[in-house]
Amino acid sequence: MLKVDGVSKSFGSVRALRDVSLEIRRNEVVGLVGENGAGKSTLMRILSGTMRPDAGELSVDGRRVVLSDTRRANEHGIAMVFQEQSLLLNMSVAENIHLAQEKQFTRLGLLARRRMIEAARVHLAKVGLEVDPTVKAGELNFAARQMVELAKALALEERTDAPLTILLDEPTSVLEAKDIDVLFARMRSLKSRASFLFVSHRLDEVLAISDRVYVMKDGMVVAERASDASTVPDLHAMMVGRDLHSEYYREARQAPPQGHVLLEARGLSVQGIFRDVDFALRRGEVLGIAGVIGSGREELTRTLFGFLPQTAGSLHVDGAATMLRSPSEAVAAGIGYIPRERRTEGLVMDLSVAANVTLAKLDVAMSHGLIAHARERAIAADWIRRLSIRTPSSAQVCRNLSGGNQQKIVLARWMTARSHILILDHPTRGLDVGAKEEVYDLIRDLSAEGIGIILTSDTLEETIGLCHTILVMRDGAITARFDAAAGAKPTQVALLEHMV
Amino acid sequence: MTFDPMQARLNRRHVLGGAAGLMAAGLPSRLFAAGDKPTLVTSIRSLSNPYHAVWKVGADAFAKKVGLPNVTLVTEANSEKGIADIRAIIAKTGGNMVLNVDPNNTPDARPIVEACAQAKVYVVSWWNKPADLHPWDFNPYYIAHIEFDGVTNGGYITDELFKAMGGEGGFVALGGMISDSAAIDRRKGMMASLGKTPKIKLLDFQTADWQSQKAFDITSSWLTRFGDQIKGIWAANDDMGTGALEALRAQGLAGKVPIVGIDGIKAAVEAVKAGEFVCTVTSDPYWQGGIGLSMGLQASQGKFDPAKEPKLHREFNAKTVKITRENVDDYIKTEVQSHPDIDWSNLWDRVASPIAYS
Amino acid sequence: MPTLETTRAAAGAVARRPADADARPPARRYRWRGRLAEVAPLIVLVALCLCIGALSPAFFSVRNAIWGVGNQAAIPLILAMGATPIIVMGSIDLSVEGVLSVGAMIVVLLCTNDSNAHDLGWWGPLLAVTACTGLGLVNGLVHVGLRIPSFMATLGLWFVGLGIGTVALGGSAVRVLDPRIRAVAFERVLTFPMAVWIATAAFLLALLLERRTRFGRYIYAIGGGEDIALLSGVPVKRVRILAFTVAGFFTGLAAVVAAAQLGQANTTIADGRLFTTVTAVVVGGTALTGGSGGVVNSLIGVLIVAVLANGMVLLGISPYVHEAVQGLMIIAAVALSIRRGGSLVIK
Repeated sequence: MLKVDGVSKSFGSVRALRDVSLEIRRNEVVGLVGENGAGKSTLMRILSGTMRPDAGELSVDGRRVVLSDTRRANEHGIAMVFQEQSLLLNMSVAENIHLAQEKQFTRLGLLARRRMIEAARVHLAKVGLEVDPTVKAGELNFAARQMVELAKALALEERTDAPLTILLDEPTSVLEAKDIDVLFARMRSLKSRASFLFVSHRLDEVLAISDRVYVMKDGMVVAERASDASTVPDLHAMMVGRDLHSEYYREARQAPPQGHVLLEARGLSVQGIFRDVDFALRRGEVLGIAGVIGSGREELTRTLFGFLPQTAGSLHVDGAATMLRSPSEAVAAGIGYIPRERRTEGLVMDLSVAANVTLAKLDVAMSHGLIAHARERAIAADWIRRLSIRTPSSAQVCRNLSGGNQQKIVLARWMTARSHILILDHPTRGLDVGAKEEVYDLIRDLSAEGIGIILTSDTLEETIGLCHTILVMRDGAITARFDAAAGAKPTQVALLEHMV
Repeated sequence: MTFDPMQARLNRRHVLGGAAGLMAAGLPSRLFAAGDKPTLVTSIRSLSNPYHAVWKVGADAFAKKVGLPNVTLVTEANSEKGIADIRAIIAKTGGNMVLNVDPNNTPDARPIVEACAQAKVYVVSWWNKPADLHPWDFNPYYIAHIEFDGVTNGGYITDELFKAMGGEGGFVALGGMISDSAAIDRRKGMMASLGKTPKIKLLDFQTADWQSQKAFDITSSWLTRFGDQIKGIWAANDDMGTGALEALRAQGLAGKVPIVGIDGIKAAVEAVKAGEFVCTVTSDPYWQGGIGLSMGLQASQGKFDPAKEPKLHREFNAKTVKITRENVDDYIKTEVQSHPDIDWSNLWDRVASPIAYS
Repeated sequence: MPTLETTRAAAGAVARRPADADARPPARRYRWRGRLAEVAPLIVLVALCLCIGALSPAFFSVRNAIWGVGNQAAIPLILAMGATPIIVMGSIDLSVEGVLSVGAMIVVLLCTNDSNAHDLGWWGPLLAVTACTGLGLVNGLVHVGLRIPSFMATLGLWFVGLGIGTVALGGSAVRVLDPRIRAVAFERVLTFPMAVWIATAAFLLALLLERRTRFGRYIYAIGGGEDIALLSGVPVKRVRILAFTVAGFFTGLAAVVAAAQLGQANTTIADGRLFTTVTAVVVGGTALTGGSGGVVNSLIGVLIVAVLANGMVLLGISPYVHEAVQGLMIIAAVALSIRRGGSLVIK
């Protein structure tokens, strides 16, 4: 049994953990929920040995332990499956599973490669993954890599007598529904071998898989519940301190679109990827595209932003046939793109808020061919006010801002560029509940302004809640088209039928 | 003595190679179809420095005079390439050739000489060879090894500088690269002369890595540090000397502070004429380029037997040409504006002293 | 667009911190260290001046300011103005020495000189700058057009430049005999030589480009994240080509000043320039990883390098110590410019 007793951790004046106590019993799945910044990640880091607490104790089976590094944590049976996967994609699955543990396979300083592969096969069998241990990790898809990570964690049971505790940090955030089911099935079957600490933003999942749930808020554990005695709204209320109300997706603000067609696709195809896509995006419309990985929906959004020019069919912007050969051309045509990876694709982190806002259309801040800094600051200040961006000033470097505020700056950029079509690629990924709601408000605001939005989302629920129209894709083709007017929303099951 | 082999070797340009060098390095095969006529082969480091460029001019002049085919190989400071090219041309000519070589590096001399002796090719080497390798060990084919004495030259220009300073006052000195043997020898010569002249003081010694620009910068700083205490500037080569001269010129001091250098580059010779330099010294690469081939050709034609020459003719420091106010006009007339008419048959008139091994 | 509902403001700022907030050092310490890294080069420069000045009073003389520091910093500064935008972009231009040789060669061969009969006066410098700008353009086109990493593309042009210089000059030094060209370096205006004024003009031009033009903004965007710049519609390829062209222009300007200052051109005229230029830029606080720093940093960096070189001569420090000091300086500068905590792995 892993026990955390009165653990605190501060960073300067910020108290990330305050007197946190919890326990993970043998053969148990424990859920841990809380908003971003509630202290979940800090707790995970302390348990995995990458961070030391300022105060408090950890114990395993009643014996006090000090987890000074990952290796020591491993010795006490604790292993972590990382959110950003920690596999080396240039190395084989077997090499990854045994990374830094090769000693058991060395004889006279040489690696017994075959024994290593055999051992890897055993571990892979535990998680039910049928892959050749000699293939490179990079050749596996995301879900399979996650399973390899799990197998890697399970390999620990051969090296320690301590009971095994596996920490899962947001394992489902990037998995498709089918893969999540597989993961949960494995976790259930592995409960006889190990305990799990499961962290996720998706409260329904947490309730589905966990035996007990701890709720964290502001660095403290505010509640402990048995899963079968809790509901999603319960947990949500405890996390944020209020209820998840019915107006979550701002349905009341969903107004019917206004006729004029902004973007139209006719028979749009990219050879071998998707085909014959037809749709018309009207002013103020939110058009959702649903589909599993490989359905072609990601590629379709890429085509709409000029990354992947179509090989057949046509695209019409404001009625004019257009071929988008690069993102620059898409920007020039009035299309904006809000990527899912803000850190690597959304903002130039070392540039100021003002510079990021004007990046797509610097003209607005230019006078006589030169940048007028005062004008640029004024434009940025205006957006900071209108979008309630929390930043000390427009000169602040974006790196220091929170995810939700960064997302708003990306949006301000496209509004500045007068984009009338926005592609939102998983806009709420990695945001906490509060920040998500702000994004939903924003989407309604944009829609009210007459901006056309194309949305791909992490959850069907979100897609259904936000969109006027939903296209469902499967195997590169559109399989269904739903009207999702306010008050007449389709069900998730209805969509799912056409997705798989 | 002019452009130093060491200096050229440590220069990155030569290490990495230049386009012109690559062009010159190609072996034009038509030259080997010259029948019974021996081929005159020169192997030098590169054509992008003035020293070896003039060397080649001398070699070409000699070849033209005797009417023989003539090939220049360029090592581009790559020892393997240098040796391989020589082996290749020995094979192509079937040994019907003579070789005048400035080995890229000290150890290179042995495999080159061995390859020549085996193919009965007469060879003359310059500057670099191991101390235990001697021409008389490979009779008769290894005719001679010739160097120039850095200590003597360093001392000579120092004496000239002190004379120009009137035998008293302070001076500053610009050295070549710290680890460079030519730079070390020249400095040694300077220090020896300094030790004999108590009224003269060395204000500061700095290294400018043989470069004009660095010498310019250092001299500019010296002028603020020492001001008019500087009565003379000693430079281990002319490039640095001219850099110092331009620094003086910038502050209106050109011609007022005497400078000496080594190499005999054109800018320095003209500075001597203008009274801005006291003197410079040259090893006369034009002569080097021709005389080495001449030795080989005469030996191969049986006009003399190297084995019967005295040891001083087989391994020696050669005389340098000193350029001062007195002879600069003649020098410009015969050496700069046109090329001198050298008596290539007079093989030993520049023998100065035996090479001392330290 | 209406203001957003902010009912959740009451939920507290703690919950609003970004996902990995708990892994990050607290904001105050972070900022403090960030500021220190920003002003460190300036502190180093001031400290250096004070130390040298204390040991050698001549350091603070007008003569030294002009000839010992100002005039010596002129060419490195002009070169750094070209190198900085490229380094901010996260690329590197290795062709400096080759391009500079070509420029200097054109200047001397076209003005009155001791090698040929040309007497084209100002056409020489003009054509030199044009040719160098053209070579910069070639750098950019090769790098962008053929998708060759900048260090490879510019490495190629380095040798092409040296090759051209070697062929044209035939390995010898050619002297400038046109007093107008020499005046480019030595004509004094308000007691400072022309070279210093040209360098000042180059700095102001580079500052204008960096702070007030699209180009300046875009190089930071590319250096900070090329994907993001691309997604925002920044014409990345054009900006890259332009940056190398601008570098060629500044290198050409430096070539004119170098030829004028030394009164001659030979194939070794540019030796060591690449190293000192990159050193100055990095010492000034512009990270080789791109996205930060700028021409003001480079000005400080150039002055640090120049003051150090000048100071070592003024203090009569043994030449054996010089290179060691320069090496240590680079390590210190790079250590300061790395963002701590950003990455655990140092490659």
